[in-house]
Parts: sequence; C-alpha cells; structure tokens
Amino acid sequence: MIEFQNVSYTHNKGKGVNNLSFKIEDGDFVFLIGPTGSGKTTLMRLIYFDLLCNSGTVKVDTFNSESMRIKNIPQLRRNIGMVFQDYHLLEDRDVFNNVALPLHVMGYSSQEIPYRVEEALDLVGFEGKRSHYPNELSGGEKQRVTLARAIVKDPDIILADEPTGNLDPVAAFELVQLLETINNNGTTILMASHNYNLIKGRGRRILELKDGSLRGS
Amino acid sequence: MDKFLYLISEGFKNVWRHKMTTFTAVFSLFLSLYFVGLLAIAGENTKSILEYLRSKYKFEVFFKQNVEFEKAKVISQSILNIKGVRSSTIINKDDAVRIFKDQFDEDIISILGYNPLPISAVVNLKRKSNNILETSPIVEQIKRIEGVDEVRYQGLLIKKIERTYAKIMKYFPLIAMIFIIIAVLVIYNTVKLSIFSRKELIESLRLIGATRLFIKMPFVFEGLIDAGLATLIASPLIIGTINGLNYFMNNFTSWNVKLFISPTMFLWLTLLSGTISVIGSYRAVSNIMR
Repeated sequence: MIEFQNVSYTHNKGKGVNNLSFKIEDGDFVFLIGPTGSGKTTLMRLIYFDLLCNSGTVKVDTFNSESMRIKNIPQLRRNIGMVFQDYHLLEDRDVFNNVALPLHVMGYSSQEIPYRVEEALDLVGFEGKRSHYPNELSGGEKQRVTLARAIVKDPDIILADEPTGNLDPVAAFELVQLLETINNNGTTILMASHNYNLIKGRGRRILELKDGSLRGS
Repeated sequence: MDKFLYLISEGFKNVWRHKMTTFTAVFSLFLSLYFVGLLAIAGENTKSILEYLRSKYKFEVFFKQNVEFEKAKVISQSILNIKGVRSSTIINKDDAVRIFKDQFDEDIISILGYNPLPISAVVNLKRKSNNILETSPIVEQIKRIEGVDEVRYQGLLIKKIERTYAKIMKYFPLIAMIFIIIAVLVIYNTVKLSIFSRKELIESLRLIGATRLFIKMPFVFEGLIDAGLATLIASPLIIGTINGLNYFMNNFTSWNVKLFISPTMFLWLTLLSGTISVIGSYRAVSNIMR
C-alpha cells in the first residue's frame, strides 16, 4: 500500500510536488502520467524515500515518513523493485550478476541465488545471454534485465519510472504486458509514463500530474 | 557468512573489473610508499653516516723536540683523559721518518744527517654523540698539556660536516612530515577518485536496499588489496635501490658505509598505506551516499 497525505516537496531550484493526496492499494496497477517536469520522478523518489517530503505524510506498507529513520530506508527499498528509463544496470558485470545483486544484498544463500535469477529471467522472457554485459544488449533486452532485477527479490511494489522511454513501440508494448503479468501475481505497480497511447484502454487507474499537482485520478 | 564472503570476493573482483583504475591507484600508492620508504631509510642512516665521517676526524699532535718516548706516553694518556677523545696513538721518531719517506719519497736523515721529526700522536674523537661535536675545546685542552708543541687538524671541514648534520637533524622532521602529508594526500585522493568513478554502482546498490556497510565493505577490501599490492611492489624496489647504493658506494667511492634497512619499516609502510586506503575508501563512499 502506498499512501500520500497532503505531500509537498520543493527542490532547491524550485519545482517539485504540491499537496499530493492519493492511495494505491495492494495489488493495484496504476499509471502515472504527465508531461516532462510535472513531478513524476519526484513522486517516485518520495515513495522510495530518496527524497523526504517537506510536509504531509508518505506511507509505504508499514513505513511512515513521520517516523521513518534513515537506517530503515534500505529495509523499505528491499521491498520495492525499481525500473528506470536509463536501466541503471552495472556495466562492469554480466546479466546474471546484475540480476543477482539484490539477492546478495538481502543475504540469500549462494545455492538459492542461481535458481532465483533463472526464474526471474525466464519470467521476463530473457532468453540466453546470461554472461553478456549490458553494452552487448539491445534496449529492450536491457529493460527486461532491469525488470528481472526488480522482481528477483519478489517485492510487494514495483516502481517503473518511464521504463518505455528508450524502447521502440513493440518493445514498449511487451514491457507493459510483462508488468501486467507481474501485477496479476499480486505485485503493486506504479508506472510513470508520458506516452498516453501506450496506457490508454488498459482499464487501469491513471494518476495525472501537472506542474507538481494531481489533476485527475 | 555467505554475505561476508560475497563482500570480500567483490573486493577482489572489483580489482580485476577495474584494472585501469586499480593500476592508477596502485601506481600512485607505490610511488608514495617508495619515496616515504627511502626517506625513512635516509633518516635511519643519517646518524651512521655521520659516525662514519667522524671516524675519519684526525688530530695530529706534535710534541716538543725534547719530549722523550716515556714522557710522550704520559702526554698521550693525558690526551686520552680529555672528554670526547676516543684514542691516541703515539708516532715515535722512527715511525715519523718512515711516514715522511712514504709521503715524500725522501730519507730525511740522509739529507740532514739527523732526525728533526718530533714524537707525535694521532688522536681520534668519539663518534657517538647526538649533538654537534665541538673540536675547539678539545684542541685547546690538548694545547695546554705540557710538552705539546702543535696541533694540526681539518677544523673547517669538521665544522662544515657537523653544521650540516645539525641542519639535517633540525629540518629532517619537518621535511619528513611534509613528505608524509603529501604521500597521505596522494594515497587518499587516489582512492577517492577511484571510488568516485564508480558512483553509479553505489547509487544502484542504494536503490536496491543495500545498507551503508554492505556498500562500503567491498571498497574497503579493494583499498586494502590496492595498498597490499603497492607495498609488495615498493618493498623489493626499496631494497634494490639501497643495495644498489651500497654497491655503488663500496665499489666506486672511498666511502665504506653500508646503509641498512630496518625490517619494521616495511611494517610501517604497510600500515600507512592500509590505514589511509581504508579511511579514504570509507570516507569517499560516505561522501557519495550523503
């Protein structure tokens, strides 16, 4: 569950989000739309506590911004899978090790890790190329690996910040389908996009941001 | 346990993954350690070099013509009693003739018909003193002894050597301090730069929920590995340099000095590089995560 109550945040150079209030229940799939600079990324960062709100309250599962301690932030993030437009894959390690990284962080045993990595890569339809490095993959393949890395730890929430931004229409369509499949297994998904054509007609809830404020839900 | 082993293995893997960064870090660490090591050896050996030079200090004390050998022995004993004198060796009249012949290739007795050379003594000074060796008071005391005619010595050279030593002892700690600070800054900043070049990794680890310790540990291990490698390279090179210097001095100069290397110095170098690498890594990661 993600809940914002009158949340505001202003960046040093201005902009940010103003007085946001909404609630996303467990298992929901919600699209976040708005033009560039409308505050989508800021909203996402507030959810994983990369930014701490100036006013209001952010609640994510049992974590609450009012009582949140810095040392507990990693704990929260282990429960959130993140997918970014620019992938954030580590160029110095191969596909397998990129996907395995969250499992090492969470302390999985070395016996269990290969099994879970294979499962996650299979789930996102990534065929072969386990030992390839990110610079040897196409944009669509990189995004699948990023998604595999997000789901490998079996998170309750997935935040996807413009995940289709660098993909061709077919790959973008396939990625959204993949996210829907993952959502069918009970994972809450919040996906930011400014590509309205990609998300319309899917029967999902849409949050619309403009100039840092929620314009519609 | 798996997690801990993973963090250690990541430290080793990072060294391999980022060969160029590792090379740069190890090279600058090595250079710093090499020069700090040589400086430490110079510091350790300054005193022994001075003692060697002092062993060459020599006073020639000529006795009056009427001084007989028995009296000369008494005078020599009086000289030995002076503070700062290590030895006094009597050169009798016959020895003096032989020395004259060796030096000038002339037999003075056959030229003059008699031996005009007086009995003399060669006086050496004590070498072990942390302070400047003042020769004038010793010379004055020798001159005051009855039967002593003249004292000859290389006063200016001795003064120069002693003053230089005093200057070195005065400024060495300062120079050493500056050198060590530069080395520390070089090591610290090299480690920092190598970590800053991997900001992306730190950012990714943060986003997937890694704790601060989990993020820092591989970098700290990597820093230790870099420091260890640099020490491993610097140590034999320092030994080689000193052995080369010893070989050069013994074979191509008249200096009979052997520079020594204290084994504990290598321990200090390892500790220095290790500590700074660990602190540098730790602080650099903390700065990025701030």
